[in-house]
Amino acid sequence: MTPARPSPWPRRLLILLAVVLLILFLLLPLLTVFASAFAHGVAAYGAALADPDALSAIGLTLTVAALVLPFNLLFGLAAAWAVAKFDFPGKSLVITLIDLPFSVSPVISGLIFLLLFGLQGWLGPWLAARDLRVMFALPGMVLVTLFVTLPFVARELIPLMEEQGTEEEEAALMLGASGWRIFWRITLPNVRWGLLAGVLLSNARAMGEFGAVSMVSGHILGLTMTLPQQVERFYNDYNTVGAFSLASLLALLGLLTLVAKSLLEKRTPTSGA
Amino acid sequence: MIQLQNIHKRYGDYVALDDVSLSVAPGELVALLGPSGSGKTTLLRILAGLEAADAGRVLLNGGDVTALSARERQVGFVFQHYALFRHMTVFDNVAFGLTVRPRRQRPGKAEIAERVHHLLAMVQLEGLAGRVPSQLSGGQRQRVALARALAIEPRLLLLDEPFGALDAKVRKDLRRWLRRLHDELGMTGVFVTHDQEEALEVADRVVVMSRGRIEQVGSPAEIYDHPATPFVYQFLGNVNRLDCRLRDGRAEMAGLSLEAPGHGGVGEVTGQAFIRPHDLELLPAEAAEGAAAVVSHVSLRGGMARAELMLAGRILEAELPRPQAEALALRAGAAVRVRPRQARFFLENGWSGAEPAVAPGYLGDGI
Repeated sequence: MTPARPSPWPRRLLILLAVVLLILFLLLPLLTVFASAFAHGVAAYGAALADPDALSAIGLTLTVAALVLPFNLLFGLAAAWAVAKFDFPGKSLVITLIDLPFSVSPVISGLIFLLLFGLQGWLGPWLAARDLRVMFALPGMVLVTLFVTLPFVARELIPLMEEQGTEEEEAALMLGASGWRIFWRITLPNVRWGLLAGVLLSNARAMGEFGAVSMVSGHILGLTMTLPQQVERFYNDYNTVGAFSLASLLALLGLLTLVAKSLLEKRTPTSGA
Repeated sequence: MIQLQNIHKRYGDYVALDDVSLSVAPGELVALLGPSGSGKTTLLRILAGLEAADAGRVLLNGGDVTALSARERQVGFVFQHYALFRHMTVFDNVAFGLTVRPRRQRPGKAEIAERVHHLLAMVQLEGLAGRVPSQLSGGQRQRVALARALAIEPRLLLLDEPFGALDAKVRKDLRRWLRRLHDELGMTGVFVTHDQEEALEVADRVVVMSRGRIEQVGSPAEIYDHPATPFVYQFLGNVNRLDCRLRDGRAEMAGLSLEAPGHGGVGEVTGQAFIRPHDLELLPAEAAEGAAAVVSHVSLRGGMARAELMLAGRILEAELPRPQAEALALRAGAAVRVRPRQARFFLENGWSGAEPAVAPGYLGDGI
C-alpha cells in the first residue's frame, strides 16, 4: 500500500482550537469592555470619564506612575549594568532579589508594607509621632507600586546587555574614553530601545496594579482611589458604564504598550558589530 | 620598543601566565602563536592594559606603563569580533578616539573629518563612511576596526585573532594587506593567532606559547626548521611522533631504524622521535631496506601526494611528489616499505638531537 498523504484534519482542528480559544479568552473580553463602555452611547462614555471621582482617579494614577517611573528607570539601568557587565560576589543573589517582586503575590507585597508602615507596624508609631502619613496616602501607594514594578526594566535590559557583552566598552576605553563617556556614548545608546520597552511595561503595570495598592490606599473616595480601584468601586455601585469606561482606558493603555514594545524590540540591533 | 618583564597572571587556581618575558623591537610585527588556553590573549590584554598582571612589569618605549590604565596607554587594539560601535556610522566609529579627547587636545571638526577620510582611504573604505556596521561584510568591519585603532596614532598596535572570524579567501587577502600596511606605516605590532600558517606568513618574529609559558621565540624560518621543543615541533606543521630508543648510535622506533651518530657511545636511552611527513621515504614492497607498511589512504594536494600508512599498528603520514607516488602505484591497501631520511629526537636525558640523523645508504629519491 502506498503511504497515504497525512490527513489535513488534525492540523486544521488544532488551528481552529487555537483561534477559538484566542477569540473566547482574549478578543471577546476586550470587545466586551469597549462594548459595555459605549453601551449608552458616546455621550454617556464622556460623562462617565468626566465624573469627578473618575477624574481624580485618573489624576492619581498618572501621579503615581510619574513618581515611580524615573526611579524604576534608574534602578533598572543600574542593576542591569552591574549584573550584565561585571562579575562580583553575590551576583546571583542580586538577580534573585530583582525577581522577588514577581514571585510574591501583590496582595502580600501590600500587606508587608502595611506591616512595616501601618500604625501597628514597626515604623508606624515613629512616623505617627512625627505626623508623617505613609499608609492610606500617596507615599504608601508609590512605595508599593515601586516594589511591584521594580523588576521590569532590569528584566528587559539584562539579557540584552549580556548578549552585547563588554567588547565595545573595552574598545572605547582603548580609544581613550572615560568611564562616564563610555556609558553615555556606548552603553546607553546600545540599549535605548530596550530601556524604553522596559519603562513602557513597568508603566502599564504601575497604572494597572490593583492588589498591592488596594492594601495600602485606604479607599478614600476622590483622594486615594487609583483607576483600577475606581473601576471596582463603580462596578460594585452598579455603575456599569462608569466601570467599563475607566476599564477601557486601562485596556487601551495595555494594547498601546504591547504594540509599542513589539515595535521597539524590532529596532534593537541584536548584533551590529 | 616593548618589554614585558616576568609577567605572572593567575585566575584562581589556573595559571594563565607563568613568568613570561618578551621584548619587541620598534617597527617589528610579532605573532603570539599557541593553542587556546596557552595564555597568548591574556598576554595581549596585559600589554593593552585591559588586564592587570599579578606580578611583572610592562615597558613601552622605555617608560614603565604597568600602572597606567588602558585608557592612558595610547595603544591601538583590534578585537577579534571587531567590537565596532553598532549604533554609530563608520565615520563616527573611526572618529571616536579623536572626539573623546579632552577639549584642549581635541582636533577641530574639519581636521577630524580630514583625518577620518584619510584613514578610510587607507583601508579602502572611502565610500562607506555613512554606513552602520551591520551593513558591512566581515572583511570591511575588520578594516573599519583597524582604521579606528589607528586614528589615535597609537604607539603600538595590538590585534586579537584579527582574521579568526573571516572566511578563508578574505582571510588570505586581508593577511597580505595587513602585512603591506604594516610595512608602509612601520608601526610596532603584536597579534595573537592560533593559526600557524598565519603566524609564519605575516610575522617578522613568532612567539610560540603553551600553558602560560613561551616555548620558543624566533623568525618564522627558525621556528619551522629548528623547533626547540616537542611542543613546537607538533604545533607547527604536520609531524609524525614516535616513541624511540637510542642505543650505540642507533635509533629504533616502531620498526623503523636510523643512525644517530650524534648520540654514539652513550648507554641506552628512551624518548620521542619527530619525523616530518616529507622526511619519510616510501620504497617498493620488494625493496630490501626500510620497514613494511600498508597504505590506508592517499590524498592529492597540488603537486604533492599525501599517504596515510599503517606501520606496526601506528598511523604515519608521508608526503611525496605526485610522479613518485604514481611510480609506486600508491593506493589504499598497497604494501610499501618505509624509512626515515631524518628525524629529530627529544630524549629523557635532555638531549634534543641537535644533528638530525641520516639514514644509512641514503641514495636520494630515485630508488
